[in-house]
Amino acid sequence: MEDQPAISVAGLWQVFGVDAAPAFRRAQSEGGSARDIAGRLEERGYIPAVRDACFEVAEGELFVIMGLSGSGKSTLLRGISRLVEPTAGRVSIEGEDVLAAPKARMTELRRSRIGMVFQHFGLFPHMSVIDNVAFPLKVGGMGRRERHDKVQVIIEMVGLKGREGAYPRELSGGQRQRVGIARSLAGDCSVWFLDEPFSALDPLIRRQLQDEFLDIRARLNTTIVFITHDIAEALKLADRIAIMRDGEIVQIGTPADIVLHPVDDYVREFARDVVRGRHAKVGSIMQTGDDRAANGTPGLRPDMTLEDALATCMAHYEPVAVYDDAGNLLGTVDPQDIASALKADRG
Amino acid sequence: MSANRELPAAGMPGLPKGQLAALLALVTGAVCLLLQDYAPWIVRFPEAWTLPATELVGAGLDSVLSTIKPVMRAWSWLLSYPMSWANAVLVGSPWPLIVGAFTAAGWYIGGFRMASLTFLGFGFVLLSGYWSESMNTLSLVSVSVPLAVLAGGSLGILANEVPRIRSALLAALDAMQTIPTFAYLTPLLLLFGFGPVVGLVASAIYAAPPMARNVILGLERVDPEVKEASIMSGASRWQQLFLVEIPAASQQIMVGVNQCLMASLSMVIIAAVIGGFNDIGWEVLLTMRKAQFGQAFLAGLVIVIFAIVIDRLSGSLALERKRHDRRVTWGLLLSGAVGAVLLALTGTDAAPEGVFSAAAVAVDNGLGAFTAAHGATLDGIKNSAMFYGLLPLRIGLDQAVLPFTWGFQWTPAMSLWLFAVAVLAGLGLAATGRHMAGAGLVIAVGVVETGIAELPWPFVIVGTMALAWVAQGVRLAVLSAALLGLVLISGLWDRALLSLYLSGAAVVACVVAGGALGLLSAVSGIAWMIIRPVCDMLQTIPLFVFLIPTLMFFQIGEFSAFLAICAYAVVPMIRYTRHGLVSTPPEMLEAATSSGATPWQTMTDVRMPYAAPTILLGLNQTILYAFAMLVIAALIGTTGLGQSIYLALGQADVGLGVSAGAAMAILAFVADRLAQGFAEERRRALGL
Repeated sequence: MEDQPAISVAGLWQVFGVDAAPAFRRAQSEGGSARDIAGRLEERGYIPAVRDACFEVAEGELFVIMGLSGSGKSTLLRGISRLVEPTAGRVSIEGEDVLAAPKARMTELRRSRIGMVFQHFGLFPHMSVIDNVAFPLKVGGMGRRERHDKVQVIIEMVGLKGREGAYPRELSGGQRQRVGIARSLAGDCSVWFLDEPFSALDPLIRRQLQDEFLDIRARLNTTIVFITHDIAEALKLADRIAIMRDGEIVQIGTPADIVLHPVDDYVREFARDVVRGRHAKVGSIMQTGDDRAANGTPGLRPDMTLEDALATCMAHYEPVAVYDDAGNLLGTVDPQDIASALKADRG
Repeated sequence: MSANRELPAAGMPGLPKGQLAALLALVTGAVCLLLQDYAPWIVRFPEAWTLPATELVGAGLDSVLSTIKPVMRAWSWLLSYPMSWANAVLVGSPWPLIVGAFTAAGWYIGGFRMASLTFLGFGFVLLSGYWSESMNTLSLVSVSVPLAVLAGGSLGILANEVPRIRSALLAALDAMQTIPTFAYLTPLLLLFGFGPVVGLVASAIYAAPPMARNVILGLERVDPEVKEASIMSGASRWQQLFLVEIPAASQQIMVGVNQCLMASLSMVIIAAVIGGFNDIGWEVLLTMRKAQFGQAFLAGLVIVIFAIVIDRLSGSLALERKRHDRRVTWGLLLSGAVGAVLLALTGTDAAPEGVFSAAAVAVDNGLGAFTAAHGATLDGIKNSAMFYGLLPLRIGLDQAVLPFTWGFQWTPAMSLWLFAVAVLAGLGLAATGRHMAGAGLVIAVGVVETGIAELPWPFVIVGTMALAWVAQGVRLAVLSAALLGLVLISGLWDRALLSLYLSGAAVVACVVAGGALGLLSAVSGIAWMIIRPVCDMLQTIPLFVFLIPTLMFFQIGEFSAFLAICAYAVVPMIRYTRHGLVSTPPEMLEAATSSGATPWQTMTDVRMPYAAPTILLGLNQTILYAFAMLVIAALIGTTGLGQSIYLALGQADVGLGVSAGAAMAILAFVADRLAQGFAEERRRALGL
């Protein structure tokens, strides 16, 4: 991990209701855990949509927040980006306390550092593709010729070359979201928020855009917070996943953690339909410090998925060795562990 | 009934709200009926108890108005400049140029269709001989609309930016639209003096609310993600508003401009009653007063055509539009200019004399011949409607039934028999479980026997409270009672009841006729194809014009006013009924059909209940339309508040005009809230 996280969120609360801030402070002063406070607020008719959210995102990391609808994930993202003012807590982006930033500074940050993509695209219906994409530059005061030249590269990157003059109503859903993505990148952002960007698209287009998104991400190396309700999407894209329920973050972990070590039934329920073998890696069930010479060396690597590992050591009944790329022995894996990891909690 | 009287209404727990309310109204009515001989103050609110409201309001307003008068006169002076410029351009330009310019605008906005509509419309205006009058009207509109758009637009933006004032502003807009049009004119007359500026300001005031409303609605309806996207793009609030939100709301805002134009045109024409400006509305009024109905009809037709052209032109601004060949636009403009030059060279640049005046005379003569030939029939229609419908409703069967008309004299014994039968029928209904229908029947019989204008005031107030309580709750009940109480002590009560009677009669007629037509349109596509354009036209025509045809056939009087009100107010009833009935979700209809329902059963058991909230909203609109038209109809002879407002205008009596206008607005407000309350209640019951 880097010395300073790109995004750090601590004790973030988003309470809805009349005079929510004083009500929250009162409920908080009465003590107890976050759950107690939230319970008290609910009793009094308030809606604690986000409860005491704490997490950090490292520079260049792709952090996915996942939860069912109504779990507060979009609200959390709106709190971080200050589209709504959080009731309490701290948010810092690249070391800057954004909740304390004055309005003008916030505008400045949004022009230059933060990009955001919306579920239903949020395209300006009266502007052509190129004007939509160049909008952040326009409000930043860049001249027409210059901004159009500048966004041309981005439009090509998202594959919309030739459609610059089209209006949003003339585009398909997938194309619209490409415009949304291009617009969020126009300001050369280093922090990228995506709010269920592919949820409104049909499955084929969704997969295609996910792959393109990963390509873009590899090129730009931005820090990303990505919201989704789709566990498969989360597992496919994420470096780390935060799972939310009823406004609370219940677990933060790598895709393998979520799949193999769910903290409770809620998370387990999510992971249930996932083909475990495809997301859990050999490293997660490897035994270390076991010096017994492993029988056979089918060539397991720690970053191999369990599915592949199982296929390779079908014939083995004893623990097999795991080597890293340099050929050092890291530990052993018992094929039975692989099988039981794949089977765990099924039934 | 006497058994009912002893029952303490409030002390009956377990009764549903509606039945309790009906019982309460029933008991109050019965008590009033029984006591009317002993305590006359129950029927007629004693004059000694009223406050001289009109004088007080008059004195108060006079002092306020005279203090701000200098400022307003300065305004008036300022406004006279753009007005004279607009006038100079429109009246001073040779007509080919104007026709060319408007046709070019028509092409630019809507291609061939709009261009030909505009050309034909303006051609008709030209040939009618009312060119300069029409241009006068247009010049007033062309100054008042930008004012209204600016004022309404800024109010709308303000409401959007400062959420705290939003509800107050919306309430004010409501009030501005319920206060009858004529009531604006009297104070303005005092402020600005006689002359076209009054019409200008009045129409700007009248036209601003629809603009503000549509701006608020449009900005509110901008997709929240679009707003968020503009924030996240780093736009300042100003940039968000003007670069994103207003353009994204432009369609709704153009609907506002369209409504603004129509309201302004309507008001400019109504403002002709104060005179001082030779516009087309004045022409209608003048010819109507001289009983030259052919001419009045022609002038009215000019207004209608004008209204339709303006409406369709500005209406298509609100639609997404294709680009039309610019060269045609320029060509049309150019040909207009060439025509103007040619006309100037031949020295006949004045607009032609009306070529239809002969037709107008012919219409006059034809009409004369028609009324002479069918006078008896027309009188028969009018008299039977008056004697057997309107009059009993107004003064009650007990006074309206005379040997002279009905062939016998109504006696108190008949009243007793009638009540006895009604109560028996009511009890019968109640016994079969239809309590509300039973109570309603008895109340309705009581009202018809007594007459709306003669209803005892405690009954009206308690009845309204009961309705309000059922419709919305205690708050509305108290509010309605307080507002009606205000009318009561202001001494305008009798006139208010007269207004209530006429608009009530018109609303009932509209509900029956409009409901039937709406049903017909819902089941038959052909019927809707015929009815729809008629509805469109009726809604485009300025209120004023409705008076002409009724006057032509039925002369001045209450019946003509009644017809004019019905013609105007029936449209929403038709539209909403049809809309409600046809918008039943298809799955629901399929479910009904697959359950084995006949089409008629589907209609009564599925579509009608589902449409109820929408139909109630239509009723609400119909009521408001009826009140609006009631005041205009005062021109051709109605009694009640409308007449007072109209008289006050003639006498520049601000006190009377404003208080009668306020009383009218109170009636409209209460009726509006009641209907909306019931619609809302139905919607909730259906889970919509």
